[in-house]
Amino acid sequence: MKTDSAALPQSRTQFWDRLEKPIEWLIRTCGWSSIICVIAIFVFVLKEAGPMIWKLDWGYFFTSDRWIPNPAGDNPPSFGALALIAGTFATTFLAMLFAVPLGLASAVYISEFSEGKMKEFLKILIELLAAIPSIVWGFIGLMVMGPIIKDVTGAEQGTNLLNGSLILGLMSVPLIVSLSEDALRAVPDTYREAGLALGANRWEIVSRVLFPAAKNGLLAAVMLGMGRAIGETMAVLMATGHSAQIPHALTDPIRTMTATIAAELAETVHGGDHYRVLFVIGVVLFVITCSINVISDLVIKGIKQQAKS
Amino acid sequence: MSPKLLTLTLALLVGGLTSCNGKKKHEIRAKGSDTMIQLSTAWAEAYKTVDANVQVNATGGGSGTGLAALQNGTTDLCNSSREIKPEEREKVKAATGKEVKEFVVAYDALAVYTHKGNPITEISIEELTQIWVEGGTINKWDQLNPAFSGDLVFFGRQNNSGTYDYFREHICGKGADGKSREFRKGISELNGSAEVVENVGKTEKGIGYSGMGYKTPAVNWLHVSKKKGEPAVEPGAEAARSGAYPISRKLYIYTAGEPDAETKAFIDWVLSPTGQAIVAKEGFVPLH
Repeated sequence: MKTDSAALPQSRTQFWDRLEKPIEWLIRTCGWSSIICVIAIFVFVLKEAGPMIWKLDWGYFFTSDRWIPNPAGDNPPSFGALALIAGTFATTFLAMLFAVPLGLASAVYISEFSEGKMKEFLKILIELLAAIPSIVWGFIGLMVMGPIIKDVTGAEQGTNLLNGSLILGLMSVPLIVSLSEDALRAVPDTYREAGLALGANRWEIVSRVLFPAAKNGLLAAVMLGMGRAIGETMAVLMATGHSAQIPHALTDPIRTMTATIAAELAETVHGGDHYRVLFVIGVVLFVITCSINVISDLVIKGIKQQAKS
Repeated sequence: MSPKLLTLTLALLVGGLTSCNGKKKHEIRAKGSDTMIQLSTAWAEAYKTVDANVQVNATGGGSGTGLAALQNGTTDLCNSSREIKPEEREKVKAATGKEVKEFVVAYDALAVYTHKGNPITEISIEELTQIWVEGGTINKWDQLNPAFSGDLVFFGRQNNSGTYDYFREHICGKGADGKSREFRKGISELNGSAEVVENVGKTEKGIGYSGMGYKTPAVNWLHVSKKKGEPAVEPGAEAARSGAYPISRKLYIYTAGEPDAETKAFIDWVLSPTGQAIVAKEGFVPLH
């Protein structure tokens, strides 16, 4: 019995030794899988867009606001996506306009000003907010926000650019708050103490010490919030009024690229021109979000190098 | 593989093969109008319970495609949202030697809805055209009636629905150059017939088109006249059937020659109260 128990640890070590290689591979595959996924998705979207990438009149696609994929009679279809692109950018820009200040301010409050139970409570609440499904946000836009906007602005139609932007903004706020809060918390306490020792008040510590120190994390938070806003589909489909036109006022109904794909893809002829153009819109969306990520990476790197020199 | 398992597999395989070959279902191919595809699919689905040995396969492609398929015999019946043209009738006769048979199976009628508080009760087709067509001249309510003001807010269906197609064809029609005209920009394209009516009901300055079966207390429907000055007709099943209401049309099934027994039985069932109840359920106007 004694010899057995003495042998056991050794065999156990051997067992784990033999597993070492497969486990290493498993971990490596996990690491690579996300990259493979991204490439596979891009290839799929590109493949479905297929011949349309060469056939499409790209100049017209980016400059015309006539989106008529199912034309009347014998008319040729008109694939002008300018109104959809304008819709996406207008909602995202407006959403960020109020989500960024609101998100950063909340993060500063939670990280620097609130204490104890209040702090924990707020953090849990923000995480709960992030967990609300986007279709529920859509309902809120349609049923709650719409009538309020009609009353306040005197707009004829409650589902419009303003409604969509507010919903998108509210949806990105939790993401921005929790990521910015992480970034602020990562700043060592010695910084805050040094600031206090220099006679800075709390606002000065936040604006002159913490913001510069947490710059990278804050920027990443904003960029991820923006990514969420651009890619969001269901909520904007319900809250924007779904009308393909370039907005001239906050209260104009608009339509985004994502909502167009969602509303039209299901009923198009598989492999037809309309189907492929919807995938082209997917490619354009992909390129936009990728560029945002790359640009934010470059900006963060630039900041790092500046800090070093 | 153990002998027991082998026998079992073989038995399953043989059983599966015979069940495929032994009782082949009679197939009725129904091709044609995209407007009618949902109706046709609903009929096909319900007909399974009527005659389990008949399988109705409904496909779309458009009324023209369906009528062409009738010519070259690739469909048993054609769903069509328009009347067959004389030259199409000739072509089918030339190709198959059979006379085309026509069955009116339902009516399609669209109502134009406005908000309950809107004082306008009547409208002409010309005015509707100027409201909906690309480059249309009517943008404000006081152009129609001085008692009401503000910009029109447009609600319609998404661009791949049959309702969208029919309303565009009927109201936007063709321009002076003979080309079909499109809808104007700024119309909210909604995903359901009920959604259009609901939105109009919540929008004082709203106007929208949808099936007749979707009226709610929050909206009015406009009486429509063929021309300004002519009497306007209220939407309704009877007015749609008689053709007095201008935004209505017949929906047809065409066959090349007398249909065979199974197809005939199916068409008879479509015209029966059960088949017509499905017509009403799908938002069209039944025959009776």
